[in-house]
Amino acid sequence: MENYLRTPIKEIIGKYPPVGALLEEFRIGCVPCSVGTCLLADIVEIHNLSPEDEGTLMTGIAGIVFPGMVVALPEPRSRRSETTRKFSYSPPMKALVEEHRHIKRFLAVLPAVIDRFDARSEADRALVHDGLDFVRSYADRFHHAKEEDILFACFDPGLDILKAMREDHERGRAHVRAAGEALVRCDGEGIAANLHGYAGVLAEHIKKEDEILYPWMDRNFSMRQVGELFARFRAVDERFAEDRKKYESFVGRLEDAYAEPISEVR
Amino acid sequence: MMSGCPGSRTMEFPKDDVEVPAGKVPSQLRQWPIQLHLVSPAAPYFQGADVVLAADCVPFAMGDFHSRFLKGKALAIACPKLDGDQEIYVEKVRGLFEESKINTLTVAIMQVPCCRGLLGLAVEALKLSSRKVPVKAVIVSLQGEVLQEEWASA
Repeated sequence: MENYLRTPIKEIIGKYPPVGALLEEFRIGCVPCSVGTCLLADIVEIHNLSPEDEGTLMTGIAGIVFPGMVVALPEPRSRRSETTRKFSYSPPMKALVEEHRHIKRFLAVLPAVIDRFDARSEADRALVHDGLDFVRSYADRFHHAKEEDILFACFDPGLDILKAMREDHERGRAHVRAAGEALVRCDGEGIAANLHGYAGVLAEHIKKEDEILYPWMDRNFSMRQVGELFARFRAVDERFAEDRKKYESFVGRLEDAYAEPISEVR
Repeated sequence: MMSGCPGSRTMEFPKDDVEVPAGKVPSQLRQWPIQLHLVSPAAPYFQGADVVLAADCVPFAMGDFHSRFLKGKALAIACPKLDGDQEIYVEKVRGLFEESKINTLTVAIMQVPCCRGLLGLAVEALKLSSRKVPVKAVIVSLQGEVLQEEWASA
């Protein structure tokens, strides 16, 4: 069993697919992950399972990998107090979650934008242009830059979970580039396919960050790191203050327009 | 029968078999003074520091206060129940945020209801401050266990 703890999770799921379903039961979403190089031991650590759940999960995995055999399981990690397992985001992480909220609002209205998109309409093309600008400027230049330049730099860059997050960012950027190129060609299908692709990548990515990555990071930050992150994020917020207002109000107007059957978002 | 103020109710915690670590345990205190009325936000030890604002009883209740909360931090102590002139406290904590430009504030209080006043004055100071700083509340039981850690918002 020790060998499997040091094995990338995708290898284990590939060889033993029921392990993926078992992980889902513990709300560990490794099956749809695009990278899957995290080691089983790290996944157990990152998800902060209770010792009881950890024991149940490891017993279940052993039953799938070594059916009918008696296998020595690893010692559960030391019991953590209820205090350490209760969770609230620290102020800098709370700010990132709040930015996610605006990005999720944009993603929620995107299917309606795509459904009603007519490549022959100049207004529709302008709207997609503005949407891509929101994604490039707010989601990527403002929010993802905070993550990649400041937050991720607090940790070992070789960590598999960070590689997975950076890969999600790159996949999102590729969809946005392709959607922009399709817009230039007035290619409605290309725009729709890439915006749907972007929404799929980002929705899953945000869920992983909000529910897994940020809580794990918060558990590992010292007070000094929390204060320094907070100050550095505030400095970025101040530089981006005007644009931030503009983009957050753009999402509001988009929601208003697509709440009605036909309306203008200009 | 339970009655009266939980902050002053008489209780005993018999501890016959508690092991005490062998050897001298070094203090983590790096400054003087520490009482909130006596400290100055201009003191060098506050500049850019991670600061603990502890209710007077907390370090006595917690066996590991020095290693767990004081190590690497500057300190101020106060009693929100008995101390006078607490409006000065609000201004002083505000001074820590604005003048000392402290990095973070950890407010360590006892679980008794009156101790919430110390967190209240720290949050009030944060509201008044033009400079925002992460503030964490740590609630300690009468026998020194950390019951709760939560981030305060102004």
